[in-house]
Amino acid sequence: MENILELKEVSKIYFAGGEELAALKQVSLQVQKGESLAIIGKSGSGKSTLMHILATLDRPTSGELLLDGKPTSKLGQDDLDRLRNEKFGFVFQQFFVNPRDNCLDNVIMPLVIRGVAADKRKKLGLEILETVGLTDRIKNRANDLSGGQKQRLCIARALIANPSVIFADEPTGNLDSENGQLVIGLLFKLQKEQGITLIMVTHDHDLSAMCNRSIKIKDGQIVGGNQ
Amino acid sequence: MRAMDILQTAQTNMLHAKLRSSLTVIAVFIGALTISLTNGVGNGVKSYVNKQLGNVGIKDTLIVQAKQDRGAAFTGDIKEYNPDKQVGQFNIILMSSTDSTKMKTFTGVKDVTPQLVVQVAYITAGDKKFEMTANQYVDGLNLELAAGQLLGSGSKDGILLPVAYVTPLGFASAGEAVGKKVTLGFTNALGKIVETEATVVGVQQKSLLSAGGVSISRTLAATINAQQGGAQPQMKDKYLAFTVTYDPSFSTKQVTALKKQFDAAGYKAQTIEDQLGTVNSIINSILIALNLFGAIALLAASFGIVNTLLMAVNERTREIGLMKALGAHRRNIFAIFALEAVGIGFWGALLGVLVSMGIGTAFSNYASSAFLKDFVGFKLLTFPLLPSVEIMLLIMGIAFVAGALPSLKASRLDPIDALRYE
Repeated sequence: MENILELKEVSKIYFAGGEELAALKQVSLQVQKGESLAIIGKSGSGKSTLMHILATLDRPTSGELLLDGKPTSKLGQDDLDRLRNEKFGFVFQQFFVNPRDNCLDNVIMPLVIRGVAADKRKKLGLEILETVGLTDRIKNRANDLSGGQKQRLCIARALIANPSVIFADEPTGNLDSENGQLVIGLLFKLQKEQGITLIMVTHDHDLSAMCNRSIKIKDGQIVGGNQ
Repeated sequence: MRAMDILQTAQTNMLHAKLRSSLTVIAVFIGALTISLTNGVGNGVKSYVNKQLGNVGIKDTLIVQAKQDRGAAFTGDIKEYNPDKQVGQFNIILMSSTDSTKMKTFTGVKDVTPQLVVQVAYITAGDKKFEMTANQYVDGLNLELAAGQLLGSGSKDGILLPVAYVTPLGFASAGEAVGKKVTLGFTNALGKIVETEATVVGVQQKSLLSAGGVSISRTLAATINAQQGGAQPQMKDKYLAFTVTYDPSFSTKQVTALKKQFDAAGYKAQTIEDQLGTVNSIINSILIALNLFGAIALLAASFGIVNTLLMAVNERTREIGLMKALGAHRRNIFAIFALEAVGIGFWGALLGVLVSMGIGTAFSNYASSAFLKDFVGFKLLTFPLLPSVEIMLLIMGIAFVAGALPSLKASRLDPIDALRYE
């Protein structure tokens, strides 16, 4: 299998109050196209930093991130922005929906940023909302949705960009078990049916067990997992 | 992002905080209103002056006076007595026929006519006597007339009567006055009142060119002058000003050269346009002073814009983080916030300009029917499209500058930090 993402000896060092803090230490990792990978670890272990670097939201202090085999360290900010918009989708624990906008406007946001024409993005948005079962909520404000509906809205927003990779940061963290199951089912369905690579940050062991593979992060290093 | 989407996002954001945005719009509105009203007055007065200027009628004419030096009373600079210097009342330096002969030798000068100083004590049509000021009519000067016609160069005892004199002198209307005889009374060189007859040839409207004075023909002026100052030995052949006509084919450049020639010889030569230009520059300085008030209001408003946008950036920090995570460029974020600022500027400016047009036009119409009644065609405030658009663009520009700092702050937010922001 091809590697969609690859980290080569990536370190991330933060400078805070004159002290150096190594969030990641020489981490190397390969993510194959279409697989589901769980990143597990306690808070402060560096798992979020790892995800941010994989998602180009953060740049490594040293080392290299390769996307589709191509190094990304030489890319400018505009190229990284475009790359994120076209290749990645994000699902966050705290949802991050725009509460005052309606569902449709929330969902089409990546396409607005990409510069897709209004009629085209509306059509796509309606299709995607149907996929996640929110058709009857199109004109509702995102604020009026339940937690489970919000997270499905976020998945729809991640999906509309037709991404190669979906990053899910504790996707069930703010949901009850029933809604959690629903959201997880949806994410794995997309991974299996559409071949989308799924990278999930979680400390839920049941969830990580459902992934093809998991890695465990401790003190900025990969210390094991189910390879 | 598409420009249209950026604009719409900015607009939506502005509408989401209606109260906050509208308060800032009001601040901008006050500044815009002040500036627009001030400019309305400026445009009104200037367009009237220019209309008068366009109507002056005499071309190829210079009004020449001797250059005045400031007396010792002004400068503290004591000068040695010079018996050749020709000085009249109030130490005004006068000119004589020697000067006019000299002027005739300047290149392009066709004719030199003295402007005589005459002092008329009163005017009467047989009943009551009224005070008046007499000006010697400059040939060709296109005064606005209510009735009759302008004075021809051959006119003997013709005068142009200001419209204000029509009723006091007992005429039923301006048209009625034309062709009628009136009597002018003046003090002669011996201090005695003597009278001379004049004919009303035309009745002039009130205008900037003749604010109240009676224009009298050259012949009539000479008649009166000969009995007044001209009869006194020390005032014989002494003139305050000359009217100089020059070659009509002269270009602007050649006219400037001619004026320089006068200047070098110790004279101050001005076209009528120059003289009215002085009026314009006075109006301009007053307008600048008034505009300062508007500028101060706008300065205060621009701090309001900064404040409003800083609040908006804080409020939408997570949204900014999300947009950046989803691939929005820094310049997109900058544009969204900068356009919100420009939008506030736009609405404030638009309201200010529109309301000032309403108030200004109403007041102007009132003024034209009340205290500016005699100045036919004088609109105190006018709002031509271009200056109004310019004011709006200026204010939108100021709003943009005010919004630049908060917008920059928004565009520089780190997506991860912004998403973590509570």
